[in-house]
Amino acid sequence: MQPEELQARISPKLGENLLGVEPFAGTAGRVRFRPAGALELFETVRDDLGFRHLSMVGAIDWVDHREVFYVVWSDDARQYALLSTDLAADAPHVESASGIWPSANWHEREAWEFVGVTFDHHPDLRHLLMPEGYAFHPLLRSFKLHEPEELEVKSRRV
Amino acid sequence: MWINMGPQHPMTHGLWNLRVKIDGETVIDVDPEMGFLHRGIEKISEDRHYNEVITLMDRCCYVAGLAWEHLYILSAEDALHVKPPQRAEYLRVLCDEFQRIGSHIMWYAAFVQDIGLMSPFLYGMRDRDLILDLFQSYTGARLTYEYLRVGGVRSDLPPGFTARAREVLDWLDARFGEYDQLCLGSDIFRKRCDNLGILKASDCVAHGVTGPMLRSAGMKRDLRKDRPYSVYRQLDFDVAVAEGADVTARYLVRMEEMRQSVRILRQVLDWLDQNPGPVLAENLPRWLGAPYAPIGREGYLLKRNYPKGVGFSSVEEPHGEAQAYVVNEGGEHPYRVKFRSPVFANISAARQYLVGYHVADIPPIMGSVDVCVGEVDR
Amino acid sequence: MSTVTLFSVSYDLSTVIARGVASVFPQPIHGWILSSDVVLGFAILFFAIILLAASMINTIMLIWWERKLLGRFMDRRGAMHVGYAGLLQNFADGFKLFRKFTVRPREADSAGFYFGPTAYMATSLIIFGVLPISTGWNGGTLPLTLLLALVIFSFAPLFIFVSAWSSNNKYSLMGGMRSAAQMIAYEVPILLAVVAVVIVAGSFDLTTIVYEQQNYWFWGPLVVALIVFVAGMLAEMERIPFDLPEAEAELVEGWNTEYGGMLFAFFMLADYLRGLVGSFLVVLLFLGGWTLPTWVPSSLTSFPLAGIVIFMVKTYLVFGLFVWVRASLPRVRTDQLLRVGWNRMIPLSLLAIFLAAVLVTVKCLPLFGCVPSPGV
Repeated sequence: MQPEELQARISPKLGENLLGVEPFAGTAGRVRFRPAGALELFETVRDDLGFRHLSMVGAIDWVDHREVFYVVWSDDARQYALLSTDLAADAPHVESASGIWPSANWHEREAWEFVGVTFDHHPDLRHLLMPEGYAFHPLLRSFKLHEPEELEVKSRRV
Repeated sequence: MWINMGPQHPMTHGLWNLRVKIDGETVIDVDPEMGFLHRGIEKISEDRHYNEVITLMDRCCYVAGLAWEHLYILSAEDALHVKPPQRAEYLRVLCDEFQRIGSHIMWYAAFVQDIGLMSPFLYGMRDRDLILDLFQSYTGARLTYEYLRVGGVRSDLPPGFTARAREVLDWLDARFGEYDQLCLGSDIFRKRCDNLGILKASDCVAHGVTGPMLRSAGMKRDLRKDRPYSVYRQLDFDVAVAEGADVTARYLVRMEEMRQSVRILRQVLDWLDQNPGPVLAENLPRWLGAPYAPIGREGYLLKRNYPKGVGFSSVEEPHGEAQAYVVNEGGEHPYRVKFRSPVFANISAARQYLVGYHVADIPPIMGSVDVCVGEVDR
Repeated sequence: MSTVTLFSVSYDLSTVIARGVASVFPQPIHGWILSSDVVLGFAILFFAIILLAASMINTIMLIWWERKLLGRFMDRRGAMHVGYAGLLQNFADGFKLFRKFTVRPREADSAGFYFGPTAYMATSLIIFGVLPISTGWNGGTLPLTLLLALVIFSFAPLFIFVSAWSSNNKYSLMGGMRSAAQMIAYEVPILLAVVAVVIVAGSFDLTTIVYEQQNYWFWGPLVVALIVFVAGMLAEMERIPFDLPEAEAELVEGWNTEYGGMLFAFFMLADYLRGLVGSFLVVLLFLGGWTLPTWVPSSLTSFPLAGIVIFMVKTYLVFGLFVWVRASLPRVRTDQLLRVGWNRMIPLSLLAIFLAAVLVTVKCLPLFGCVPSPGV
């Protein structure tokens, strides 16, 4: 599958929420989209294009904005594709993919706690690797290493 | 009743907590709690030179350090536009496959211990030690290797290595049959493991489960075949697949994978015998510091004009499909490193394959998942 | 047989010491000390001390034997450093446990927490006391020794359950429950298998049972009963493959999770003591006790304490079998264990009883010879 084919098959569904498809080494291409079209894109990619396997959800803090990228795999095409969207830095949020791909659940929890991206309608958006009540998002560029931090760890009652 | 299986519990094989809700002895809900081993490797990587991140990769998965080094190196080379020489690629595959056998043997040892078989644990450790000795002879370390480099590997094999490696492979090949006799030959083992922890292929795909767990559900998916990286395209091997999607099937898949790895390694060793050559690319940018060159002012100036790039790689690690995403923004450190750990996804589906079974079934099921907490928590 | 018994030895010892002590004192203290009650009392005390020492040393040597055997099965050497071939390693370990501080969880019930291991240990010691090891070595010739031993054996689930429940830990409780269910399930087949032996031997007295085996040992004709008995004993001793109550993988350490130090040592010692006693029973009931087959020339067996030595060699070999099982089998699951117990073991043991009845009726077997007339 080539970027052009991706573009041709996604753009009728997504319209102007599709910002373009770039070539990306080793994958079918990198689909850039507006967060408003997230759910539509996920459904199209999974059902029409056959990318049934969501491998990874990652987030990057670009300081002026934040990027969330999804890596999906198609067993028919034996190829990866990247989906990526830019979110505003002041209130970064995007629709959760965990309704489409259940595997997104933990990846989104991780992206939320490390980069501070909120995933709307996520079933279970709580801390995964950090203790409960941890108030920072460590993978933000503003979080410098070797600085003292205030850390309050709540204990959980069983 | 909720019980905490972990963080200090013999079942966990690492530092994590499986909260289990039980009714009598039946599991009705589970909630894995991770993060006890979180070291912020992705964050630390942002403050390190490209070759210094390799050190962290060994700490990612303590039974498959070289596979993780390979993963990182592939995407770092993508991001930095570096090509390794052919011999280095073969050496990396050598590392990968020995690491796969080592990791699977370690899994076997821990898994049989979980269902109460005591002796095979020691047999497994004994055989894995031979592999660690081999690693020690050419990487200098037994657990944290730091052997791969951006643009190649650190050093070539010592003289006499391939002969010794072939001896080890012959020994291992003979041992796999013994392993099978101890497990598959035992009625109790089959009673414990058949039809246990079933996760069908469709559920595997939906929950992102990969590796031996996916292949045990009858799905022939192996990145070494489907998306050949390094020199896997030149090597002849089969993908291990089993039907049944249960614990026994996972056992079968891993055993077959070890046999296939031996097959791959024989070819790799033959190739290495016949094709001497450099093991590190020669036109590396000096500021990479590869392997030991000091990073001085000159390097700093050169680095500023270096092209930016993004690297994405994916390898078939012993536990499943691992991915790395490395962003090079031109600095001396990577801008962002993101890893996908296969075990992370495999554990996240715990509810799918644990609920409905007995408490006594948890150790074999979680054992068959092959948990390595180092790479989950990173 | 000589008339020297363990009790006569301790009575003599007591008499000698009493005479020595009494010679220092004038009358009437002299007379009091030499009175038969006092001498008898000290004799009983010495008897108990000898038994205790023998049981402890044997238990510890049994642990050593298991460690060495397991080591060999696992392609390693086992304990090597303390003493010759690690013989003293377990004494060192025991001493370490003895010195350790005993921690009781705050929420644990102190009475049950301390009572459980102590009673478990004490009852296990009693069984050791009543079993005859040789002609001269037994705690008394009761007509129902076998029944007494089995009754005390079956006390264990109660004490385990008490200690598990009072440690106030979920794993302990689950282990205690499993232990109780398992022991009760396997109590029945064990008793039925013993009934088969009793039918053939015609007595509940272990000494008599051993003498009944002079023509042939019972393991041959009663092989079904032997299988049931050994499997049941594995379950009673909570050894792999039936060690679910302390299944390490899921229950941490089962019912003794919260125990440490000397209390843990009690459990550990009592477990191995029960292993020892279980092997004793197998030897007594099926392997001819302290006797050897008649075709062995008596010149080979006429060394001092021959009975005890033969008996111990047999016991350690039987325990070696248990260790072998442990080294090569995985653990079963609770429901499988109970299903095997109720659905397989009990029919098998009934079959064993039937076979025993047949044996008594036909009296003579082609390979083994004739049954002695019951109830000599």
